[in-house]
Amino acid sequence: MDLVTQLFPWITNGPLITVQVMSGLSVGMFLFLVSVGMSLIFGVTRIVNLAHGSFYMVGAYLMVTLVEILPERPWAFWVALLVAPLGVAVLGGVIEVGLLRRIYRRDPLMQLILTFGLILVISTLVLLAWGPDNKSVSRPEALAGSVSIAGQPFPSYYLLVLGLAPVVAVVLWLIFYRTRWGMLIRAATVDREMLGALGVNVSLLYTQVFVFGSWLAGFGGALAAPTIAVALGMDGDVLTTAFVVVVIGGLGSFAGTFIGALLVGLLQSFGILVFPAVSIVLLFAIMAIVLIVRPWGLLGRPEA
Amino acid sequence: MLSPRSLVVLLVALAAAPLALPPFFLQLLTEIAIIGLFATAFNLLMGYGGMLSFGHAAYFALGAYAAALLVRKAGVPMLLALPVAPVVAAVGALVFGVFIVRLSHTYFAMLSLAFGQIVYTVIFKWKSFTGGDDGLLDVWPPPYLKSPAAYYYFALIVVGLALWALHAVVDSPFGYALKAVRENPRRARFIGVNVRRHQLVAFVISGAFSGLAGGLFAFYNGSVFPDFAYFTKSFEPLVVALLGGVQSFGGPLVGAFAFKVLEWLISRQWPVYWPLFLGSVVILVIVVLPQGFVGLLGRRPWARPVGSS
Repeated sequence: MDLVTQLFPWITNGPLITVQVMSGLSVGMFLFLVSVGMSLIFGVTRIVNLAHGSFYMVGAYLMVTLVEILPERPWAFWVALLVAPLGVAVLGGVIEVGLLRRIYRRDPLMQLILTFGLILVISTLVLLAWGPDNKSVSRPEALAGSVSIAGQPFPSYYLLVLGLAPVVAVVLWLIFYRTRWGMLIRAATVDREMLGALGVNVSLLYTQVFVFGSWLAGFGGALAAPTIAVALGMDGDVLTTAFVVVVIGGLGSFAGTFIGALLVGLLQSFGILVFPAVSIVLLFAIMAIVLIVRPWGLLGRPEA
Repeated sequence: MLSPRSLVVLLVALAAAPLALPPFFLQLLTEIAIIGLFATAFNLLMGYGGMLSFGHAAYFALGAYAAALLVRKAGVPMLLALPVAPVVAAVGALVFGVFIVRLSHTYFAMLSLAFGQIVYTVIFKWKSFTGGDDGLLDVWPPPYLKSPAAYYYFALIVVGLALWALHAVVDSPFGYALKAVRENPRRARFIGVNVRRHQLVAFVISGAFSGLAGGLFAFYNGSVFPDFAYFTKSFEPLVVALLGGVQSFGGPLVGAFAFKVLEWLISRQWPVYWPLFLGSVVILVIVVLPQGFVGLLGRRPWARPVGSS
């Protein structure tokens, strides 16, 4: 125990641990919103959308612009939070109908490469539209301050995120398991051909799922915008982390993605305390171990 | 491959280039040769083995750093340090490859990306050994190779020998077995091909030649940086191979030429638009021209599809 307390002096600091857990969980929440869309799109269309981080970035940038142009009223922030993800959803729809639809039958490698091409295109367009400087979004007035959690200051905006997390997860669960549309999505992840043979318009379902997944990424980005510096390059950061989340949880698995996101969020917030120098290595090392032991992830299904 | 006559013409033209071209273009040609080798090594996996690596920059960087560290920390002369580059990269490819080739398709790509990012982070964070963000500077070749023309000839010879070796690999029974594995792993296993071992050997060979390209680039550049291992760098050989066409041995070389010339033309005028252009070309090639630009030229002898050689 002495050795432990020497190595990790914070381990007896209860309040610090509480705050770290809470901020880890809120980071995990942002990750969940991005990853669940990525996982959903993969489950149905079998495309690993590498441009998903770019959608997250566009969501954050749209938030910046909307908060700027809307009148300075208390409701402006919430309106922006609703509208920004819709813009991303439209972008996703255009991409699905214009490009991805043409290549569903092609080599999966080509699909990966195409979505990579999208990263380059979107990042340049964002640079041209918003310029190279970092942007920031101020938090809504009611949530601008911080509250005291176990004697430690904790930003109240994160409380919103923490409160929203279970709501979003439950709503998604209801959609997936209690609606006809959710049933179709789950059926498509199991056997797309059979679903088509049963008379379901699979092509339309693909578009809907892609739009919905894009919306989720945009929502994550818009919600995260007030907590980060909105900058070019956040697409790559988010993509690699979301990638780790879906691989750990299992591509195409809803519950797995939720667990993976919270795990990675906690790992990031504690990794900085425990191994400040190697927290990213830790992340990828865990992903590598999962891929070696259970390539289909904790809760995913093995490839047919 | 090229007919003997056009090969001779090409070699004479390349050998005579320093007489006609200013140093800048020799440097451009040197870069084309190096990235052409990197992309050809990458394409051994993608085009011949049907394996997509998203972390090939790791082996390029391992080679570059191995050579640079030997020169800077141990004072080893360049001509002895360079051969170590492919060896270190091959060892790295073997260690990671053992795990990577157990997976297929998307998961293969992801695990290779994860290992690539680990290599990047180690290089980035291990400041005392690798210099971290600052990289390692002053990694120049000896004086007699320092001029653009001298290094151009040197790189040309090394790359030429490496390409010859890679072509021998592709043309060997091993190369044919690898194509069989790409086309139908199960059938390949039925006729007695050890699928995983073939994939692993291909992975190690590909890693070794990527490392050689990295070593060559380190001395060309005079410095090495962690960016060499970053995942965006891993997409470079991919884009190059795709541009030229992954279905032919010479495709990535043609692609390297197109890539570098376009990069020079476009980034000089509009550096901001370069990624936009690159991304659009990649998307366009995939949606419209699945055979790459070499495919556009039809069935010329030197653009023969892999399967029919």
